[in-house]
Amino acid sequence: MLSHVIEELPQLIVNGLVVGTILALPAIGFTAIYAVLRFPNFTVASHATMGAYAGFVANVWLGLPIVPSLALAFIVPALSGLACDEYVLKPLRRTSAATGPMAAAIAAVALTIALENVIRFVFGNDLRGYDLPVYRDWRFDLGFAFLRVGPQQVENAIISVVVMAGVFTFLAFTRTGKMMRAVADNPSLAGIKGINAETVARLASLIGMGLVGVGGMLLGLDTSIDPLTGFRAVLTVFAAAVVGGLGSIPGAVVGAMVVGIGEELSLLVLDASYRTAVGFIAIIVVLTFRPRGILGERAY
Amino acid sequence: MTFLATRRAVTAGLALSPLFAPSVLRAQGEPIRLGTLMPLTGAGGPYGPSMRKAVEGVVESVNSAGGIGGRRIQLYGEDSQTNPDAAVRAARKLIDVDRVSAIMGTWASAVTTAVAPLAWESRTMLFTVSGADSITQLPHRGYIIRTQPNSTLQITKLSEFLGQQGAKRIFILAAQTPFALSNKEILEREMPKYGGQVLGQTIYDREKTVFRSEVDQALRARPDYIFLNGYTPDVTILLRELFRAGWTGGKVAPAYAINQRLLDSLPADVTNGAVTWAPSPDIESPAFKRLQALLGTNDPDPYSCQTNDHAALAALAIAKAGAATGDAIRENVRKIAQGAGERVTEVTEGLRLLAAGREINYAGASGACDFTDNGDILTCPFRYEQAEGAKLKTIRIS
Repeated sequence: MLSHVIEELPQLIVNGLVVGTILALPAIGFTAIYAVLRFPNFTVASHATMGAYAGFVANVWLGLPIVPSLALAFIVPALSGLACDEYVLKPLRRTSAATGPMAAAIAAVALTIALENVIRFVFGNDLRGYDLPVYRDWRFDLGFAFLRVGPQQVENAIISVVVMAGVFTFLAFTRTGKMMRAVADNPSLAGIKGINAETVARLASLIGMGLVGVGGMLLGLDTSIDPLTGFRAVLTVFAAAVVGGLGSIPGAVVGAMVVGIGEELSLLVLDASYRTAVGFIAIIVVLTFRPRGILGERAY
Repeated sequence: MTFLATRRAVTAGLALSPLFAPSVLRAQGEPIRLGTLMPLTGAGGPYGPSMRKAVEGVVESVNSAGGIGGRRIQLYGEDSQTNPDAAVRAARKLIDVDRVSAIMGTWASAVTTAVAPLAWESRTMLFTVSGADSITQLPHRGYIIRTQPNSTLQITKLSEFLGQQGAKRIFILAAQTPFALSNKEILEREMPKYGGQVLGQTIYDREKTVFRSEVDQALRARPDYIFLNGYTPDVTILLRELFRAGWTGGKVAPAYAINQRLLDSLPADVTNGAVTWAPSPDIESPAFKRLQALLGTNDPDPYSCQTNDHAALAALAIAKAGAATGDAIRENVRKIAQGAGERVTEVTEGLRLLAAGREINYAGASGACDFTDNGDILTCPFRYEQAEGAKLKTIRIS
């Protein structure tokens, strides 16, 4: 039993790290929007799908390489996220301070179904794949276990880390980034200091959904895309954000790693079909012992 | 107001216009209500639209020939989304609001299993293309008919094929479905007849997007053949993972999982050599040839062939009974589908013979359409295909 665990462990951890790195991007987007707008914007599901399809159009129809395609996977969901918030969710959020966020969250669920069906209408139900060669994995002999790592996984993980580094640099060192953190931390104080909360809210939707879109495309690069790509990932993304601490961006990264690695390690003791439960068990454990999430809810 | 009045006038005009069509004029009674519940979206999405069109073809030919006993067929369609929850809501609407006497075309065993109790409790006939053994073992009192061979027949045929291919050590990667466990048990029972064995099975959650660890589990068992018992989205990911992991052994999956859509979405290197098997339509049948023309393809999928037959069976059973209820279909479907009557492959020809008081035995695009007492199809041919250069090549039909 023990030798069996030792043999499997390195591979499971590597798999978990890769899954976690990719999940971190949509989780950051989701949590950043929550930090500023104070409601869970469930349109992340359809915006992840939208990002995947925008990247598909750029990569397959326009013949662009992956990195420029990722730019489109950022821009299209970012603009859509901004428009959705501006015209649908914001008016609902403003109806009342107490029930507004709840109304907006419910409307976001409806909106995500609507957007998913718009994508379905345009692209159909077919599975689609990016124009990418599929490579055999690299194999490493660790002595006690074999490890295999896919070139595509490594590339995705690197892209994800670079984007995350960009986000952190933006939040830490730019004036706009600091404004966003200020509003997330204390909106009224930020208002007194002359920060325009409206602008910051728009930026949060724009950047947040853009990141979700990039995450959606990265998910698709490793697999295939269909109109449910984002929907399949949304529960794990939500779990990652809650586990890390809703509203905390480093928390989203930590949460994504915990959920990603946790889901893989669960295979040592559970059947693969129960893997989805791991995210929810993580939510229960964290909310029981540390209700504000692993890193609390500070924006940064 | 002018606009409203105009719109009403136009609507009224449109509503009345069919009355001026002479053949329809004869079919004026209360319409016969039939329902379709097909996977227009989700894993079955590639099949749903053509399954629906296959039903519409039958309905149109019945209606343009004057309906059944002067009554038109009115078709109500819902999307099962290949999702049991959505399918149950849709079935409730078909049964309670549209008051259909039959629901046709449920795809995916989880969907059919969820919808079945609503059907038999409301005395609505359910025609399905799902294969899980458990479906006809439900206490359905005759309200379920399926044109798809059950898992036992399908897996027995697969075992026979794998045995001939020389497969000895088989591992199963299965989506979580009502047939995952029973399929494994049947394969475990059948393989020893050909000197093979089942090494194990990993059941995965098909909502996931990454299956690396599941593939590792399969490879650790050192199989020579891997059976991918899932649906297109998850099998796509599994095939890619197997390729990356350096897998060069055999791979087999149901034809509804490895279809042309899948082959188009993956590089040929990844899919080459993958084998599929499926119940084959009766490609010699005139009904099959008419369906080719109707759907505009040389190769209608087996499910469209089956739903084409669902609609014909329902229409003929209603004509035989002279009543358009679920009970009438249940009581009469075997009387028009099997037995010593005159063989017919076209619905209007069957209606004409029935109207003349003759007995008929319908056989359609999907095959003979002969059923056991519990609703299973008696027999059907199978087709085995292999992927080569992103195309499926038929190995044999038997």
